[in-house]
Amino acid sequence: MLEIKNLHAKIGDKEILKGLSLTVNAGEVHAIMGPNGTGKSTLASIIAGKEDYEITAGEILFEGQNLLDLSPDARAREGVFLAFQYPVEIPGVSTTNFMKAAVNAKRKHNGQEPIAAKEFLAMMNEKRQLVELDKSYLSRSINEGFSGGEKKRNAIFQMAMLDPKLAILDETDFGLDIDALRIVADGVNKLRNKHNAFLVITHYQRLLNHIVPDYVHIMYDGRIVKTGDKGLALKMEERGYDWIKEEITA
Amino acid sequence: MSFVNNIDTAFESIDKDTLAEVRESALTSFKALGLPSARHEEWRYTNIKTKLPEGLKLGISSESQVASRLKYFNSIEGTKLVFINGAFSAESSVILEQSGLAVGSLKENSSNHPELFAKYFNKATDIAKENFAALNTAFAQDGAFIYLRKNTKVELPVFIFHIYDSAPTDIFTQSRNLIYVEENADITIVEDFQNSIGEKFYNHVSEVFIGRNAEVNYSLLQLHNPNTTSINYIEARLERDARYHVTTVTLDGKLVRNNVNAYMDGENALATLNGLFIGKDTSHIDNHILVDHRVPNCNSHQTYKGVLDDSSTGVFNGKIFVQKDAQKTNAYQSSKAVLLSDEASMNSKPQLEIFADDVKCSHGAAIGQVSKNELFYLLTRGIDKETARGILTYAFAHEIIAAVKLPELRNYLDEKLKQRLNITI
Repeated sequence: MLEIKNLHAKIGDKEILKGLSLTVNAGEVHAIMGPNGTGKSTLASIIAGKEDYEITAGEILFEGQNLLDLSPDARAREGVFLAFQYPVEIPGVSTTNFMKAAVNAKRKHNGQEPIAAKEFLAMMNEKRQLVELDKSYLSRSINEGFSGGEKKRNAIFQMAMLDPKLAILDETDFGLDIDALRIVADGVNKLRNKHNAFLVITHYQRLLNHIVPDYVHIMYDGRIVKTGDKGLALKMEERGYDWIKEEITA
Repeated sequence: MSFVNNIDTAFESIDKDTLAEVRESALTSFKALGLPSARHEEWRYTNIKTKLPEGLKLGISSESQVASRLKYFNSIEGTKLVFINGAFSAESSVILEQSGLAVGSLKENSSNHPELFAKYFNKATDIAKENFAALNTAFAQDGAFIYLRKNTKVELPVFIFHIYDSAPTDIFTQSRNLIYVEENADITIVEDFQNSIGEKFYNHVSEVFIGRNAEVNYSLLQLHNPNTTSINYIEARLERDARYHVTTVTLDGKLVRNNVNAYMDGENALATLNGLFIGKDTSHIDNHILVDHRVPNCNSHQTYKGVLDDSSTGVFNGKIFVQKDAQKTNAYQSSKAVLLSDEASMNSKPQLEIFADDVKCSHGAAIGQVSKNELFYLLTRGIDKETARGILTYAFAHEIIAAVKLPELRNYLDEKLKQRLNITI
């Protein structure tokens, strides 16, 4: 589904990704771990299409097509979804209206008519229950005045509405208490199936107790330096990142 | 500027109704003032003199062809006063019988209510200083007259439609409203300017007198005004405990100058002045706001929001005067604008002049662009860039519409705003 080959990217003069390669197949959950500042969030932003970065080498293929040729919105319509580390608050736009625009953009792309009001409401109702999001949040402005946990639940709700092929969770556990973490992880687990894939970016192993990955990648200095199964995440938790740094510099 | 050169001849030819004396003095004022140049402080950003073409004539033309495609708010019940090219159209108007309310044409009512005219006509404007108010007072032929007697709560709104259609394009129409609301009365007024075809010029003055503990909700709509050069004055005087909510919504226009002035004459009065303006192409939209706190314990709030695209320009000039006696004044002002293109510009000039020492006054002005983070967020959900910008602009602008009190009007304006921004959410 996703093939990243030797990706190099910089922001200004600073090179952040230095030859990153990664392959994700349908039905898989990949976790990317690593210390701060190694380029994890940059990778997420680049896949989603943020324009602040310059790609200096390499490519990203998504279902065979060059993702870097597509605008962020076109990528989303093709089935890429990013759950932001810091969800944006947008006063004045209700989640309902926002989701209607997003669902209809996807439908238009697939050659479908705009969704009927009744069908849309039923869909909203079903999906919000996945993350135990109260109905009242849907008529409120996007994320405005939401707690950290509510914002992340809203992100998973949006994911459920849009049913992406590839979902990138950028430090979704950041700032969540254990209950919110469980709700978010349960939501993700219910959405997992053999047709979609997840890229879970996290600092800590605890999220991976709930969303169990098939692969764990360790990212350091703009590259993936080690890949293993879920056991690798536990090892990172126990031993920290220093041994990786030593292994690389050795 | 031919109409200025020929002004005496033009004045001789107009119908002066019962107002000859005040018209004479207004003419004298206008002749002394002339048209303001860009050196005039209040017209620095709006060089009106160069925007009024040679050959413009004063007067009205009641010639009219089309009424069918005009938008009369059929879905909203209320009294509807219709002026076509500046002249009252009795056949197009709908006047509902409502006890305590006298409405109709200014021209007709100036002879029906001579005492009221003597006492109030031209008492809210300053023709010694305001060039176009003086011109209007001398030449205005018609407009709306609304007189609400005390203790009357009018449930249905009064609409004032100014329709410009097939009139010649060289007429500088002068229209005039007089609105007098007695104590403890309550009314909603919606004034709508529609120019369906051709280039138009108009200069409109509304005087609004709000009695003790009375309430006036006033909306001025400029939704269908391409090719229109317009100068508007809404002059309101508030007595004790009066409440006044005025909203201007400008969705297009070639040149728009709105002078919205509120004079706090009685204690504990409240004035809310809101405005939304959206410019495209080369439109120029200037909102000149004045709140004059003359007595203690009054509240005023100004909230203006602008969206400027293409090469359009916006002006916000917001004045708050707090006179020496106006202790315990609470005055607030906010002006925000979003620029959607590199060629668009906004001039924002807050002006607070405070002569009392125990007051709360605040102001804020911000000019910015659509947030890149918010835009990216919407894009990542598959919404195309143009729609995403429309949604964010709508989110920014919506606050002004949301504050409109009449629900049917609020919904109507919400739809208009969405259409204007090309979004369907």
